[in-house]
Amino acid sequence: MKRVLIYKRYERFWHWTQALLILLLALTGFEVHGVYHLFGYQEAVFIHRNLAWAFIILIIFTQFWNMITGEWRQYIPSTKMLKAQIEYYITGIFKHAPHPTRKTVYNKFNPLQRLTYLGLRVLIIPVVVFSGLLYMYYTYFVNQHVVHDLGPIAYFHTIGAFLLLGFVVVHVYLTTTGHKPLSAIKAMLTGWEEMSDEDAEIALEENLEVAMIKTRRSISGKGSIEKEGMFEAAFEDVAEKLGIETESTRLRSKLIDSNVGYFRINKEGIYEEVNEAWLNLYKCTNKKDVIGSHVTLDRRPEGKEQIMNLVNTVLNGGTITGERVERVCKDGTIGYHTVSATPYRDKEGNIIGLEGFIIDITHQVEAEKALEKKIASQHRSDDFYRMVSASKDVGYFRIGKDGFYQEVNDAWLKMYKYDSKDEIIGKHYSLSRTKEDFMALKKSVERVLQGETIPFGITRRYCKDGTIGYHHITMTPVYKDDEIIGFEGFIVDKTDKKLAEEELKSSRV
Amino acid sequence: MPFIEILKPMKKFVEIVFIIIVPWIIILWVVFTFTRDRDRDYFSSKNIEVRRDSVPVDHSKFADLQKEFTSGPEVTEACLNCHNGRGMEFMKTEHWQWKKIDSIPGRGNINLGKINLLNDFCVGVNSNEKLCSLCHAGYGYGDKNFDFHNQNNIDCLICHDNTHKYKKSKPGKPNTGSGFPVPDVDLTDVAQHIGLPQRNNCGACHFTGGGGNNVKHGDLEKALNNCTRDVDVHMAADGKNFLCTDCHKTHNHQISGQLYTVSSSNKNSFGCEECHTDRPHISKLLNEHNEMVACQTCHIPVYAKVEPTKIYWDWSTAGKLKDGKPYTEWSEDKLHEYDTKHGTAIFGKDLQPEYIWFNGTADHFLITDKVKDTTKPLVLNQLFGSYQDYFNPVDSAHRSKIFPVKVMRGKQIYDPVNRTIIQPKLVGPKGSGAYWADYDWNASAKAGMDYLNLPYSGKYDFISTESFWPLNHEVSKSDKALKCVDCHRSDGGRLKNLTGFYLPGRDHNSLLDYFGVGFIILVLVGVSIHGTIRIISNKKNH
Repeated sequence: MKRVLIYKRYERFWHWTQALLILLLALTGFEVHGVYHLFGYQEAVFIHRNLAWAFIILIIFTQFWNMITGEWRQYIPSTKMLKAQIEYYITGIFKHAPHPTRKTVYNKFNPLQRLTYLGLRVLIIPVVVFSGLLYMYYTYFVNQHVVHDLGPIAYFHTIGAFLLLGFVVVHVYLTTTGHKPLSAIKAMLTGWEEMSDEDAEIALEENLEVAMIKTRRSISGKGSIEKEGMFEAAFEDVAEKLGIETESTRLRSKLIDSNVGYFRINKEGIYEEVNEAWLNLYKCTNKKDVIGSHVTLDRRPEGKEQIMNLVNTVLNGGTITGERVERVCKDGTIGYHTVSATPYRDKEGNIIGLEGFIIDITHQVEAEKALEKKIASQHRSDDFYRMVSASKDVGYFRIGKDGFYQEVNDAWLKMYKYDSKDEIIGKHYSLSRTKEDFMALKKSVERVLQGETIPFGITRRYCKDGTIGYHHITMTPVYKDDEIIGFEGFIVDKTDKKLAEEELKSSRV
Repeated sequence: MPFIEILKPMKKFVEIVFIIIVPWIIILWVVFTFTRDRDRDYFSSKNIEVRRDSVPVDHSKFADLQKEFTSGPEVTEACLNCHNGRGMEFMKTEHWQWKKIDSIPGRGNINLGKINLLNDFCVGVNSNEKLCSLCHAGYGYGDKNFDFHNQNNIDCLICHDNTHKYKKSKPGKPNTGSGFPVPDVDLTDVAQHIGLPQRNNCGACHFTGGGGNNVKHGDLEKALNNCTRDVDVHMAADGKNFLCTDCHKTHNHQISGQLYTVSSSNKNSFGCEECHTDRPHISKLLNEHNEMVACQTCHIPVYAKVEPTKIYWDWSTAGKLKDGKPYTEWSEDKLHEYDTKHGTAIFGKDLQPEYIWFNGTADHFLITDKVKDTTKPLVLNQLFGSYQDYFNPVDSAHRSKIFPVKVMRGKQIYDPVNRTIIQPKLVGPKGSGAYWADYDWNASAKAGMDYLNLPYSGKYDFISTESFWPLNHEVSKSDKALKCVDCHRSDGGRLKNLTGFYLPGRDHNSLLDYFGVGFIILVLVGVSIHGTIRIISNKKNH
């Protein structure tokens, strides 16, 4: 169980203030309606009117906050995963299926919530507020011939009140569907939500990714190149926005562990700034060794042209994402990473360099290379098995012709969340699939058993604990005496990427 | 700094306190204390001072008043000797003419007043002047031949006597006649001690209309001569000690204010706002009520506070004799009366007013009008007004407001053939047709209608009638004023009969409420079922 920051301070203030106001409004409102006697009619009316103004002021403040911070995007409705979310509440929740969507600070609401909250904001609350204002200032409106009877105004107000009350009931009930029954309420109080480790990691990763994007934007926006430690400052800024104590090294180490390296290069291709993660990936220890050197320095001759092409693309105003690049580390070893970069501008908007981040994929590339080697040697190489099964990041598996697992490596176990090989070897590969996933995979397996090699299919797995994951799968036949006796391959986890992609997409509609 | 160090481990808790608990406390404090409803304290306020004209001279020193007066007109002549022109001035007023030109919406200008209108007490003045003139500000008004142009007939003393000894005599007393002072009054003493009208001067007539203390109005009674603030905050001896004319401002003997049993338009009227403004409360919400609710509605929660007032008068039972003689019988609580002369009467004390929409205009059932519908009580003075008048006013300067009224109900004689109300002759010697002498309705009706030269078919019957008496006096202390729930309630509030508009707290749409409650129940049931299944499936999975 881990905890992830979801709600910002203002949101928590707003939510609990609104909760108090709505409850008291309902309590006094239904007394005015004549349902019971609690405060006394007169007190109830005065309190209700005062509450109404407090509520209106809060709404104005919050809408302003939503506008300024861009949080309004969180309310943009999306039909994506809507069906899945409804199905989850109708059936999945009883079967302990995983939540189909994840909660992060940048994407707090599932599609059903988005729809409901939008409905509240644009329909129910306006109806209640405007009918309430007409109700309060009825004597003025009636003189202006706007309305002639208080009845319909009161009816609309009552309808709104019933709908809001219904919403509150369901809303409170649904808070119990989190990781633990009180997780959601605790999160709303403290800002930090308890999640399963997997959910937490994914949420953190996505938070990081968006934080990186924001960091880049804020650095580009500031535009001053003299200032030292620009990234650090921006990072502190993000960390503060996330509500993390800046002296805490947890996020920083997470950033480094996540292999997200940051760099900034000037117009001449000279490194101006890199972060710790970047240095780790290049196996450098001293930043000073890097800053001032040229971007082509760490490349093999054939890579120099590629890197200069990428640099020129960005310097001409383009953006590159996920370009695969080879690097020569300080100790001479070869590494691989994807690079994403955007132009870096000065105050006038002139491009004076580029900046971006790199994500390490060395193990994946090595697995691919081993596969290539295996194919080149007509499937007779043992290098593939040796290469891949020892990898810490790439899962290796071998399955017999009959479909039963023969061998998996530790990385595979980690991805599928098994504790030891004994739990899986001898089991059929349909175990971790839904019916549809299995049918799709079966077709691919049949092709592999015919002798084909299938690289980079994306597939979905159900892990041991019922959580869901995504990975790239590459499958290739296993030969013994020119006869196919099974298939082997490797998997590269893409869960973070896949979910982050989806959720980012839906938040950027 | 050490303090901050201590707080550090509690950072999360402190944060919750500051972003949730503190705003809650601030909001609760503001919401529960802001704009408490307090009324301005007019009683102790020095802003409102009553200014009265003083009489700067001592009348007892005047030579003209040093003689032995033997009759009322003699005194009047002496008064007018100095106060020249005042006689002509007074003779233009309703207190003298008992009528004025007034407009009835839809009927134009009509000469209206006591002299020709009917009520459901003693019905009307005509043919009964000998009794009625007990309250005429003149001498000798005994029949229709009275000279309304002789200023010596003006009774100055009934209004200006400050000795409290002056009295008019009842009819039938020897040597007096209609409206003359009783013989044992020392007219010289009275004439030497005159002054501005006091409460008892006005009250001599206005407190005792209908034949007794508080019988007619319900909010005007002798107790007001010397009462506490519990009875009337304005006239209370322990309060502002208002005289009638402090509110009923008078210029040239024209007294402002009127009652809609004898008036039909709001000319020469005034209201509470003249002193209290139309925004008298601190609470805006209460002030907004003034748009639709008259001040009197809340501030006169009960009337007939000291003596009971008559609320029902059934003439049809009159005329029963006991041992061949007329008799009077009272119930133990003194609220039910049978009297051979008057029939059955019901009185009420500490009554709750009834409430109507009223815009300050009224219709009157004239003696020449035809009764159209005998199944419903006939309304003798229809007060106009409705909720519609509020947004689509007939007269935008006088929108309808909810007003408190005393409704006088009863049965009185009418002509079922001619379909008119009958003016019966009540007062007179035996054989004159006077009902109170002969107990013969037919003769009484004939005598009354003949007196007016109006047709009488020879057949009579009794018809239920109602008259509406807007309440303006006996204003209660502010803490006794109506509370919100007196009207804003669904179970028998004061406005339960005043329908046709939505009153919060009283009205609701039952269909909507059924749907609403049903919806909430459905939601609760749905959530319970969902939760139960979750708990069961949780247990299975473990």
